Amino acid sequence: MPLNMNNVNVNEVNKERNWFWRKIGFWFVPVRAETLGPEEWAKVRKMSRTGKRRTRRLLFALLWVPVLACEIAVSLRVVRLDPWAGLMSTAWLTVLLGLWVRSLRIGFAQVSLEDRAVMEYGAEFDALKEKQRGEVFQRAVRDGLFGRVKVDEHEVERRLQAQAAAYRLLGPALVVFITGYWGVCLFGPFEATRSALAVTAVVVTWLAALVLAAPTMIRMWTQPDEPGETAAVAE
Amino acid sequence: MSMHNRIAVLRAEKKLSRATLASSVGVNPQTIGFLERGDYTPSLELAFKIAEHFGLPVEAVFSPRPFRTLSEQVYKLHKREA
Repeated sequence: MPLNMNNVNVNEVNKERNWFWRKIGFWFVPVRAETLGPEEWAKVRKMSRTGKRRTRRLLFALLWVPVLACEIAVSLRVVRLDPWAGLMSTAWLTVLLGLWVRSLRIGFAQVSLEDRAVMEYGAEFDALKEKQRGEVFQRAVRDGLFGRVKVDEHEVERRLQAQAAAYRLLGPALVVFITGYWGVCLFGPFEATRSALAVTAVVVTWLAALVLAAPTMIRMWTQPDEPGETAAVAE
Repeated sequence: MSMHNRIAVLRAEKKLSRATLASSVGVNPQTIGFLERGDYTPSLELAFKIAEHFGLPVEAVFSPRPFRTLSEQVYKLHKREA
């Protein structure tokens, strides 16, 4: 007999499921979301709110440091064995890290399941039928995967603020890094390769100068003419 | 300078959800939440859109100074009329 999802008794359906499905399996089978029970829905909703809490986001931000350290350690180990393998592993890990950062960025702009329910069906999430809850959940997962989120003015402003803060940190960090790099190049025990190292130090220094001067240069290029008082009155 | 607003009161008065207001002014629902909590100062465009949605002048919804409570204002108006 075909199962009508609008009238399905989810509690009965859930009773028939084994422990694995109830605790873990449902996370990996979003196509069956319309048959989730109240227990699973509570977990899904709790999970969807993870990125909305600042304490959880702080934990993720702290996790970023050891993840980056691991990536650098793995890349350095591999590159010593074989430069090409080092390039491949660095590229692969950077892509993975990029995807992780992308998913975090999407998470900021994502609308919660509760708000989606109101926007899509005009009703509270709890008041929706099981099939509709499943559809809301699936659309949220799909939009998250494909990055289909609305970047409104608030989101744009937060991103710009974050970029400005990152740039403010980058300035002194680059100065410290370059000073250290020059110090190692000039005073380190590398007599044979000192001149080659000094060449890389020059390149790194000019790259840093390019990066730090970029915002001012972009502004020089894009800022329109300043209208004088006479011109403003005449217009 | 932080901007004060009456969005939460107006929304409650009209029985509007965050998501509904957000849809009609073209932002995410969380942005309405940040506005109500005073964590975000809207652009002029968004401020006018919100005021227009409630059918009020922009200065009735947003102000650089804290708003007096509606009950206080109504009481004052009655007193003036009497």
